[in-house]
Amino acid sequence: MATTPIDHGGLHELVELYMLGALTSPERVQFESHLKTCDECQARLKALSPVVGALAQAVPQVEPPPSLRARVLSSVGANVKEMPERAPRRTSLFVPWLAAAASLVTAVALGGYSIAMRGRVTSLEDRLRDAARQLALSERQIADLRRTSAQGQFQMAVLAAPDLLRMDLAGQPAAPRSAGRAFWSRSRGLLFTASSLPALPSGRTYQLWVLAAQPAPISAGLFKPDQAGSVTTIFETPIDLPQPVGMAVTIEPDGGVPAPTGDKYLVGQ
Amino acid sequence: MAQGDGDALAELYDRYARPVYSLALRILRDARDAEDVVQEVFAQAWRHAARYSPARGVVAAWLVTLARSRAIDRLRARKARPEGASDDRPGLQFIDSAPPIDHQLLSSEQVTRVRAALEELPVLQRVAVELAYFEGLTHVEIANRLEQPLGTIKTRIRLALGKLRESLAGAV
Repeated sequence: MATTPIDHGGLHELVELYMLGALTSPERVQFESHLKTCDECQARLKALSPVVGALAQAVPQVEPPPSLRARVLSSVGANVKEMPERAPRRTSLFVPWLAAAASLVTAVALGGYSIAMRGRVTSLEDRLRDAARQLALSERQIADLRRTSAQGQFQMAVLAAPDLLRMDLAGQPAAPRSAGRAFWSRSRGLLFTASSLPALPSGRTYQLWVLAAQPAPISAGLFKPDQAGSVTTIFETPIDLPQPVGMAVTIEPDGGVPAPTGDKYLVGQ
Repeated sequence: MAQGDGDALAELYDRYARPVYSLALRILRDARDAEDVVQEVFAQAWRHAARYSPARGVVAAWLVTLARSRAIDRLRARKARPEGASDDRPGLQFIDSAPPIDHQLLSSEQVTRVRAALEELPVLQRVAVELAYFEGLTHVEIANRLEQPLGTIKTRIRLALGKLRESLAGAV
């Protein structure tokens, strides 16, 4: 990669990217040599250091498996006199487990277009806070929240996939104000988001179709938007799914159908 | 921690395995890979024990920073990226050139504030920060991914870190 010279003023603006490890290699080399002689950048770097530490600590806290302790200690040949039976000491730095469960939700990485998801997470989080206050949080709720959290992270994983393909879907005459967007990665699945979809009649569902270079559309899955007509969801598409050349959304009977029968509401190519 | 002091390593592990493991798991989304990272991090702490300040909080922050770097390395290796953009950016270089760690781990109140501040960030700012920190993408890759001009991503990240910093400044 060719090194593009960056003027002195421009270098000052790279502190944040440097802290996050987000500079390209040539930029990093240039910035580091600048840093040696720039007190101002050194000071800003120091001030930002706790922020990056905070990002690391803001992730959901998960206890490592107990077997890992012995593996780590023996791997370095540590001569430990005694393996304490006590549970790992909980440092005062970390919130109790109930609050940690709440953090599963707040620390979710939301996809760039998943506003609807964000709303759901916020409301789930509020519910969790209430429940925590009453100390009456059921295991079931925690499981639900974990799923929500996992989905948020999965959305981010799709968006970060190296083989990402994006497709915009436009509203059709049946739903002129609707719009959708799909991100597809062979390795990570399909992230679909849409807004302003008409409310579904009872007993009906939306169905997303993938059009590939073969005669029949392939069903990617079913979804139901929220009251505002918004939806953000992940479909785990088969790894052998042909590269999509188009997508379409139809309304079908509950449970879905093997081949589209209803009007098209969204179409993308 | 002096080398050969296995008890000290055990104590370090008992205190900090959880944040190290949690971060690696968040980045790699795979328990076995995350365990490998924990092992590497503590092995390195063991080997380089003499080089680092004994101040506990500083050691902890160093462990977490190393965990992030190791996890991102694995993520990149796993991706086998076609553009090869990160091939010239091996993790050890990153660590050796990483900014000096001169902060302590945060209090639980600070962590709570940071989480709230993250939650309040505009979506684009938040996604840009997360793609950089948790997915190891460069700002150029992030701009391509989000179909935004380069300068926009740079600005969003600066704004986001500024807000997170303010949220920390308010918490003592």
